[in-house]
Amino acid sequence: MADDGSASNRRDPIKSSVGNVAGQRRRQQAVTVAKERRELLVRAKRLCRVGTNGDVEDALVENEMMVDEEQPILEAQASKSVEELKSAVQYQGKGAMQKRVTALRELRRLLSKSEFPPVEAALRAGAIPLLVQCLSFGSPDEQLLESAWCLTNIAAGKPEETKALLPALPLLIAHLGEKSSAPVAEQCAWAIGNVAGEGEDLRNVLLSQGALPPLARMIFPDKGSTVRTAAWALSNLIKGPESKAAAQLVKIDGILDAILRHLKKTDEETATEIAWIIVYLSALSDIATSMLLKGGILQLLIDRLATSSSLQLLIPVLRSLGNFVAVDPKAVLTILIREQNTEESIIGVLAKCLRSEHRVLKKEAAWVLSNIAAGSIEHKRMIHSTEVMPLLLRILSTSPFDIRKEVAYVLGNLCVESAEGDRKPGIIQEHLVSIVSGGCLRGFIELVRSPDIEAARLGLQFIELVLRGMPNGEGPKLVEGEDGIDAMERFQFHENEELRVMANSLVDKYFGEDYGIDE
Amino acid sequence: MAMGMAVDTVGELGFPFWNPIRRRFSPDSPFFASGNVERELLAKQVALDLTEDEINHLQKFVETESRRTSCPIVGCPERLKSLDHFEDHYNARHTASCSVCSRVYPTSRLLSIHISEAHDSFFQAKVARGYDMYECLVEGCGLKFKSYKARHRHLIDKHKFPSTFEFFKKTQLSKKRREKLQRQHVPRLKHEDDKEAASSDAMEVEDKSSVDGLVSALSTLTTSDTTPSNVSFGRRHGRGLTFVPRSVHKEKRTESSSAPGPTN
Repeated sequence: MADDGSASNRRDPIKSSVGNVAGQRRRQQAVTVAKERRELLVRAKRLCRVGTNGDVEDALVENEMMVDEEQPILEAQASKSVEELKSAVQYQGKGAMQKRVTALRELRRLLSKSEFPPVEAALRAGAIPLLVQCLSFGSPDEQLLESAWCLTNIAAGKPEETKALLPALPLLIAHLGEKSSAPVAEQCAWAIGNVAGEGEDLRNVLLSQGALPPLARMIFPDKGSTVRTAAWALSNLIKGPESKAAAQLVKIDGILDAILRHLKKTDEETATEIAWIIVYLSALSDIATSMLLKGGILQLLIDRLATSSSLQLLIPVLRSLGNFVAVDPKAVLTILIREQNTEESIIGVLAKCLRSEHRVLKKEAAWVLSNIAAGSIEHKRMIHSTEVMPLLLRILSTSPFDIRKEVAYVLGNLCVESAEGDRKPGIIQEHLVSIVSGGCLRGFIELVRSPDIEAARLGLQFIELVLRGMPNGEGPKLVEGEDGIDAMERFQFHENEELRVMANSLVDKYFGEDYGIDE
Repeated sequence: MAMGMAVDTVGELGFPFWNPIRRRFSPDSPFFASGNVERELLAKQVALDLTEDEINHLQKFVETESRRTSCPIVGCPERLKSLDHFEDHYNARHTASCSVCSRVYPTSRLLSIHISEAHDSFFQAKVARGYDMYECLVEGCGLKFKSYKARHRHLIDKHKFPSTFEFFKKTQLSKKRREKLQRQHVPRLKHEDDKEAASSDAMEVEDKSSVDGLVSALSTLTTSDTTPSNVSFGRRHGRGLTFVPRSVHKEKRTESSSAPGPTN
């Protein structure tokens, strides 16, 4: 689409007679359609920028080759387009508005049709100050929209390109206001979302300039693509790791209600963005956590986990659940008691995640279970009596390493009472016996052999439980039977002192001379 | 083989027994890294353009929709397709516009700040007496200042606004307003920009306070309802505005002034 000059002239009369409103709708649909296709291109861009290993660099070279011929042309067009915008902005006579919109539209097209839009060329030609001028109050919607669109795509690129939007931020924020037309507000939210996605410094600037309240209010309506875009931008803005944005968000009147309402009812795409907001709130704001719990969020999260099969949605919902569980076991207990063993129960949905083929779901579901299992004896009993047990045992022997580690936490937590003070935590023999007879010992000894310090430590701790807690002194034999002694002896001269001492002390105590294995 | 010690080497001080504790991770913890991969790819999103086909399809769609009514607000040329569009349009154009000078603002708050600062003589009187009247523009901040400049400084220092930022000085008139002005041969104001790009239809000017200029400008104005607003600009604290007759600026313009009549 190098030069559609003649074509666009032919089209221009059609566009202007149709007027601003039709233009609005067109933009609206453009925005909607655009988002459905964004993933591919953005993915390509991000991969090429990251470039840490050979594969990615090859991809980079390939892309560069494809683009080499086109790029200089695009860049020249971009510069020209900015020049035309400059003169359009200066022009004050008849048809000035149309001139401006046409120039903006041309620039926008150049910035949104290829994998490598000529952002740098546009910036060098001085696009930003012009785009800022085009955002001034009272400008026609089409102009605002095209300008915000250009800024959106400029901000979607490299860090320095995103930073170039700094002069535009106050205006973009202002146009989020309740009097702006929906497509304009949405496009500005999109641009702001890109800026927030760049990094903490820019997030801080946005927060200082007051971006949060108007953006948050954009998620109050029941539906619409504007809600989705604003929620996405909001999630970028509060992601932290500093907690001040999350704290500010909680204070906005009605925001938590809106979040709960959307979590309950809205479509999966919007719910995904809302769920990410919940992830950050539950991790960064204690106030938000307790208020959301009071608002019944746990059941809503469980319902979503039960009914959805969209990985994009399940990940943040599961993680939110994990964050809440990590903080408030009492709330979890209430839910556990209320609905035991049904598919919609918390254990049921976690089992669903454990059965999933996606490793992220498996791993994080196990993490959630481990936190529940770290609770009271009732919590442990509830897990132990359900269908997750065979699942966990199977995962311990088959799954990738990081998932196995999480499962190890669950199983170990199930066997031990939570410690009171300094006393040695008591073993729950019933659980220990059933888990060991389910065949978990080998898996734990495997962990002892792994190079990961945390995993080895877990393995040794579990072995200690077995050695100490199995009835009738069966422990040592069982451990020996799975080559446990061998695994522990590898630590005799291990560089990690703690592990060395742990392993050696176990071997000393339980496999000493009295044991009868003299070599 | 180590000697079996009489003393229990595995005691309270020795072995770290398994102790169930809840583990909490911060959002950027490496624990969540694999789950974050997809999300990180969406940290920035490009707004793509439609293909030619899609545009054509939409055009046809749009052309077949012929029923459109005019906005009922007097003087508004907008033509609307449905109630939804009307509500949108009404919200955007007719509820946050200044009734004195027709400027449009995206929020009620900004509108009300504009009205106070630009059209309220009581406001100016209080400013003259040294009250802190200029509100910070950032919602929730609450601070007020004695002068426009002081507030500007605050926005830059405290809220990290860019130093090139201008909310209330450089604004663009709505189409309606511009048409009106052109019909009345009201001289256009130009903004003397320091660092920024070429001037737009800026309404206000960085003044070298000239009473003469003000007087001559006033004399060219018709007695329309727009007159009072122009005068009040001149009384803004410390930075009076001047209307410079259009003829003076003619040579600076790229385009000569247009003939009276509605622009479209």
